[in-house]
Amino acid sequence: MLNTILFVLILGPFIAGALCFIIRSGHVRSFIVLAMGCLIATASIILFIKGPFSHTPPPLLGIPTHFLVLWGDDLLLFVMLYFAFKHGHLFTKILIIFQIVCLDYFELFMVDHTENFPLFFADNLSLIMVLIISIVGSLICVFAIPYMNKHEEHQGLKKSRQPKFFAFLVVIIGAMNGLVLSNNIIFMYMFFEITTLGSFMLISHDQNETAINNAVRALWMNCVAGAAFIIAMIWAYVIQGTVDAQKLIQAGHMGGIMLTPLALLCFAAMVKAAQIPFQSWLLGAMVAPTPTSALLHSSTMVKAGVYIALRFAPGYAGTFLSQSLAVSGAFAFLATSAMAIRESNGKKVLAYSTIGNLGLIFACAGINTPEAITAGILLIIFHAFSKALLFLCVGDIEQHIGSRDIEVMRGLYARMPRTTLIAVLGIVTMMLPPFGVLLSKWMAIEAASKHLFVILPLAVGSAMMVVYWARWAGILLSAPHGLKVEPEKQGLLTRFPLLVLVWGAVVLSLCAPLVYSKLVVPILSAPSFSIRAGIFENPTGTFLFYPVMLILALGFIYAVYAAKKARKARLSGPYLCGAQTTDPESFEGPMKKPVAVLSGAIYFESIFGNQKLTVWVNIFGGMLLALLVGGSL
Amino acid sequence: MDILKKLTRKSRIKSPWLLHFDCGSCNGCDIEVLACLTPVYDIERFGIINVGNPKHADLLLVTGTVNHRNKKVLVNLAEQMPEPKIVVALGSCGLSGGVFREAYNVIGGVDKIIPVDVYVPGCPPKPEAIIDGVVTGLEKFSKKKDG
Amino acid sequence: MIKGIIMVFIGVFVAPLLGGLIAGVDRRLTAWFQSRYGPPVWQPFFDVIKLFGKERMVVNRWLVFCAHVYITAAMLSVVLFFLQSDLLLILFVQAVGAIFLVIGALSTTSPYSQLGANRELIQILTYEPLIILAFVGIYLVTGSFRISEILVQTKPLLVSLPLLYIALCYALTIKLRKSPFDFSTSHHAHQELVKGFLTEYSGPYLALVEIGHWYEVVLILGLCSLFWATSWIGIIALVGVTYFCEILIDNVTARLTWRWMLGYVWPMGLAMGFVNLIWLHGR
Ligand code: SF4
Repeated sequence: MLNTILFVLILGPFIAGALCFIIRSGHVRSFIVLAMGCLIATASIILFIKGPFSHTPPPLLGIPTHFLVLWGDDLLLFVMLYFAFKHGHLFTKILIIFQIVCLDYFELFMVDHTENFPLFFADNLSLIMVLIISIVGSLICVFAIPYMNKHEEHQGLKKSRQPKFFAFLVVIIGAMNGLVLSNNIIFMYMFFEITTLGSFMLISHDQNETAINNAVRALWMNCVAGAAFIIAMIWAYVIQGTVDAQKLIQAGHMGGIMLTPLALLCFAAMVKAAQIPFQSWLLGAMVAPTPTSALLHSSTMVKAGVYIALRFAPGYAGTFLSQSLAVSGAFAFLATSAMAIRESNGKKVLAYSTIGNLGLIFACAGINTPEAITAGILLIIFHAFSKALLFLCVGDIEQHIGSRDIEVMRGLYARMPRTTLIAVLGIVTMMLPPFGVLLSKWMAIEAASKHLFVILPLAVGSAMMVVYWARWAGILLSAPHGLKVEPEKQGLLTRFPLLVLVWGAVVLSLCAPLVYSKLVVPILSAPSFSIRAGIFENPTGTFLFYPVMLILALGFIYAVYAAKKARKARLSGPYLCGAQTTDPESFEGPMKKPVAVLSGAIYFESIFGNQKLTVWVNIFGGMLLALLVGGSL
Repeated sequence: MDILKKLTRKSRIKSPWLLHFDCGSCNGCDIEVLACLTPVYDIERFGIINVGNPKHADLLLVTGTVNHRNKKVLVNLAEQMPEPKIVVALGSCGLSGGVFREAYNVIGGVDKIIPVDVYVPGCPPKPEAIIDGVVTGLEKFSKKKDG
Repeated sequence: MIKGIIMVFIGVFVAPLLGGLIAGVDRRLTAWFQSRYGPPVWQPFFDVIKLFGKERMVVNRWLVFCAHVYITAAMLSVVLFFLQSDLLLILFVQAVGAIFLVIGALSTTSPYSQLGANRELIQILTYEPLIILAFVGIYLVTGSFRISEILVQTKPLLVSLPLLYIALCYALTIKLRKSPFDFSTSHHAHQELVKGFLTEYSGPYLALVEIGHWYEVVLILGLCSLFWATSWIGIIALVGVTYFCEILIDNVTARLTWRWMLGYVWPMGLAMGFVNLIWLHGR
């Protein structure tokens, strides 16, 4: 049973990807993607119900698993090398050749393959990740089916590029499942690299100049991560003589000698999660079709980074590494919030907010108390849903209005009320109580309170976050007065993922105490909160979760009722100094000509808007990373 | 219910927020209006606030004549005030067009365009007269039926 | 339990009355500073009752929705305060109201309300970090974010958090919409701002916003009182002096730009707060 499930979860997407690639019929492809989505979503739920395990599957087709991994790895690296040569990027070439040499030497001459330990290991953290990856990931793939058709309509290609696109889209899901389930860090490395290649292929999908440039940037940055990972792996093996991740974690930092490999791992994780100064690859990924960004941002890829940090967190608890991780995470949170506040490009705002939230998770991993780890894990869960939702909404909106600019989305409620409401709900779940993201932020702030250099950026950053979300939500709703809005048409395959995600985000938040006590507590060394009647409590603070939710919900319902009742109220145009014309959205200008009212939001160009800020942020972020790695040498 | 109504009436008298619209006056009247706000006359002691927004206003205080260009603005402002509301016309110009009455572009007093509840004569009226006009208007204001 | 119910009662019903009264005193004092007579202290209640009796007029229905959410959140935050709950939770709940008010204002196409809403967002941006830092300071002293824990202290918090109190006062000035930080909407600037982001809220909905503001005033002064919660005299003296200073500042300063506010309050407030935190940490 377990073997089958693992096969479905990890190799299933690879097979589906291969099928997508080979069979070029659109209908068959849609069917494959849908079927695969259902299959892995179900499999992940079954796996989840079965609970934690450690397991070694029998060798596939009789070939020892480590051979498969070695071949897979080599194949992968050579493919990447091919692309490095094709695009003539020297640094990537060096990094990849370095990885090939190290890996082959390590695999062939160093590692003892007879060592006996479970190849797969899953505790609740892995299971949560599998659930998120499989469910959110599949929904995104489903959304991609109608999206990509429309996307290609605009491009007018002779030959559809969709087979390749869907192939890599689903492969990434499989690789992520593999990454979070494997216990052998060589496996982890392989899956880590597959996500690198996959993201490269997806980003370069449109094959225009920016797409390729950004893809190459993503490639070299992720190769840096890969190289750091491989060094960490070899180093850890030299010290510990094992590639068993659990043993490495339990060994802890052993008075400092294990600290360097752990630091390198954290470094790799941070690059993968696009932390400052490596944020540009994730921002560049925006050129790809929206499902790509949704997949990379919400459930996979970047979550691989935070997963690794959280997975190894017990290993470096209480060290300098832990503290500097916390500080650099918090700094990334602050810096990206500041950058997001100046953006009017919706997708970029989402991207920065992703990086910021990941920074927050790193900060939590760095603080490394049970409270903080709780906050980090909850943040992963809630963020995945809300962020995927927002990306899909923006993608849908972009296909309708032809722009991803927030200012162009002004008054979208009048044109696409359904999508707008879903998007606004998504935004609300990202920033307001009693929704999950804020609950985890509350935990994070309370946990960070003893760390001055963490709490200051968190305090400032979270205020900025509120600003850019609220601004966006308001602009979306900024409808002309007294308008009858007609719900827009949404295809079934567009609507279904959106609805599942939005309900998922809301219902998961409703169940937050349950999620905490059932999912998170077993992972922690000690429970961080006691829960009574939906009240989170520990010596530091109390979060009256259900009471607050109840009263706010009542308030909401009453507000909706009042708004409904206001249907009878007299309508009046906005105040325009009495100069409005018969159309209340414009005023009478010179020569009695109507002039439309225009307004724009403040984007703080004068404060956060200059390029210099980015440079300084990058320098400072780089220094923090250098401190993180250098400090643990 | 009755108490509530009474209370509302009383509150209306106690808290008239006025919107002052200069509808083409020579500014003489406006200066007198502003004089009402100064410490000497201090109309805030009656709870009067000079708001800048018809949506918050109860009393429209119009100075000056109405002409073809600004009559629309006058109508718009009056329209954007939620009921109950009263209109007070100030100064000879507001009443009838005053010295500008014969001008080619002038329509005449405020009541040519919107219904006026209280007329305050004078060129310009003294602040005392303005306050008196407003207070007279309040009686009417409180009696108006609810919006 | 009985105590809890009484506290909820105070939070829901007494707090707005108190807030309205404070607003009345505020206007009276302001008049006194300007050597005017000023309206009766009950004036704010007259205003609100009158507003409730006015016609319902809307630009769009989001405004109605948002006004109701605002007052719910404001009320809830005050109730949480009286129940001696978690400070950060109170801040977040309060933020729900503040943000929905802004979203409501942004949902109209009115330029005044748009501009005011953007400015209000900047104000939120400015005061939130300061308040969080103040709470962190309280945590470092008492070891908890719960208000109940503050009340068992034997030494006034002000002794260990003097700088953070000043930083908090900056935040409070902004939150109370006092000059020089009253550029999103103002008690005075009816002409130049129209009414900022409250422009399009009218009649009963404006009344709701007004009552919500009273709740917030009570909450804010309540937060101040925590800094000398060891005795009633201390509470009254501290809150009285603070509020008096706020009104004084309101009357003697001119309204400035948001750039100035951000550029002045952040460095000053954050630096003072941070120094205070370091000092606490060092002890
Ligand atoms: S009534 Fe007299 S003071 Fe008033 S606007 Fe007319 S001319 Fe000027």
